Amino acid sequence: MAETQTYRNYRVLIVDDDNDVLSLLSAWLTQAGFEVVTAKSGEDAIAKIAGTNPKLVITDLYMDGMSGMQLLSEIHKNNPLFPVIMLSGQAQIPDAIKATHLGCSAFLTKPVERDDLVNQVKHVLRLTRDTESDDGFAKNIVYRSKQMADLLESARAVADSNVTVYISGATGTGKEIIAKAIHEASSRRDHPFIAVNCGAIPEQLLESELFGHEKGAFTGANTRHEGLFQAANGGTLFLDEIGDMPLSLQVKLLRVLQDLEVRPVGSVKTFPVNVRIISATHKDLDKAVKAGEFRVDLFYRLKVVPLHMPALAERCDDIPVLAEHFLEKYAKQNNKKKKHFAPDAMDYLISSSWPGNIRQLINVIDLCATLCKTNTISLSLVKTALQDEPREIQTLKQTKDACEKNYLMSVLRITSGHVANAAHIAGRNRTEFYKLLGQHNLDPAQFRFKKES
Amino acid sequence: MSQDKIIVHIDRDLEDLIPVFMENRRKDVENLKSAVIASDYNTLKSIGHNLKGVGGGYGFARITDLGADIEAAAKVNDIKTITELIDSYADYLGRVEVVYQ
Repeated sequence: MAETQTYRNYRVLIVDDDNDVLSLLSAWLTQAGFEVVTAKSGEDAIAKIAGTNPKLVITDLYMDGMSGMQLLSEIHKNNPLFPVIMLSGQAQIPDAIKATHLGCSAFLTKPVERDDLVNQVKHVLRLTRDTESDDGFAKNIVYRSKQMADLLESARAVADSNVTVYISGATGTGKEIIAKAIHEASSRRDHPFIAVNCGAIPEQLLESELFGHEKGAFTGANTRHEGLFQAANGGTLFLDEIGDMPLSLQVKLLRVLQDLEVRPVGSVKTFPVNVRIISATHKDLDKAVKAGEFRVDLFYRLKVVPLHMPALAERCDDIPVLAEHFLEKYAKQNNKKKKHFAPDAMDYLISSSWPGNIRQLINVIDLCATLCKTNTISLSLVKTALQDEPREIQTLKQTKDACEKNYLMSVLRITSGHVANAAHIAGRNRTEFYKLLGQHNLDPAQFRFKKES
Repeated sequence: MSQDKIIVHIDRDLEDLIPVFMENRRKDVENLKSAVIASDYNTLKSIGHNLKGVGGGYGFARITDLGADIEAAAKVNDIKTITELIDSYADYLGRVEVVYQ
């Protein structure tokens, strides 16, 4: 009942020249709690938008007179961000792509299912919850993808224990943010969380930085330094880029983890420490172990609970919410009005490969927000910003693979994870399509919208 | 053809819409037959397309299937198959019985 009252504020205009479709979709959305207005043509819809002020338009693609595509363009002349869902009886990729590029929020294929339609409407109107966290865990982490939900579920499960956590993932994916979320959800939250980048500190300084030193322990050691292990006592020490730690220090770290005490450089005394270790690296530590660059005993002591941070391209569902978040942050920091991405610009952001991950996304968003002179950031500006981002030249195979994966993700997104429709659009049979998804490690379920409980 | 009733279970929420929906489907049969006589493949394709889009939504998956087949046959001007499909469609409409649940 509460749901009905909430959605009553959302008026939806349905446009179709088939009375049976209009009646059916109206019945479904009315039952779901929305207020519904109908129009039998594009021309009728234009008149009704002015008179009824709907929040969303759902239109058939093929109609006599004004087509759904023309209606979309007409609506976006006045408001380029107005949400429009397109319905079509034929899943043709050129139509779906054109509609998406014209700023259509979603493309559904008839016969449409009731749940698909209602969920899509809620999603477009942003009525679905963006995250599954409901107990404050990782409340500062912006996401809505299944990959992140799964990762955070694992992180939450281990948070309130002393177990050692190892986070793998590419540079710029936000490994430290997960480490901090784990710390803040643990009983250690009132004690320090200290992060140290093992790769950024020269070898000779890292030992005293971690374990401390006595006054006069070495030239320049004019005062006693307690070290990060003691500073983090009772709390969490985040050892970032652990894969870059020199072998000579790895053995000393192992001893601390085994004995739970540190001996500062130049000291004869040891000090007990109660520190939880979370480590992370962008390197493949399995390979480093095999190559003799990383101690196997330390590796297994650190990797008690392994978590993997997905690359941004693997969690592209999060890009719209992340973009909104960083645009808002930029606006606040620079005391400016918040800008928005045009739908086709957002589509481009979603389908880009993001080798620099979140860090690159932030740079691109800041650049766009700085250079954009209007409220809406255009596709051309996004392309310019992405081209200006330095990136490594990839091999032809890498480029082809990335392009194929992006294409598959686009098709799955357009069809909301409906494999038969996606395969049809891609011009493959379902078996071939599943094979392709397997090659790129794509799960169609990740593109389906969550149903609210 | 069999004279047995075909029971279709439909959501009670759609009860008010079904009489009009079924009336429109019976009109489809007449329109399809007229289009066959006129060899009007565009109309055949269009009606088939609409049936495909709307049948399943109301709970009549068979109508969606028949609509898809009529549309496909109209695309290749296969009048024999279209005629058979229209007969199947008319037979289905004659035997279908809706049970609301």
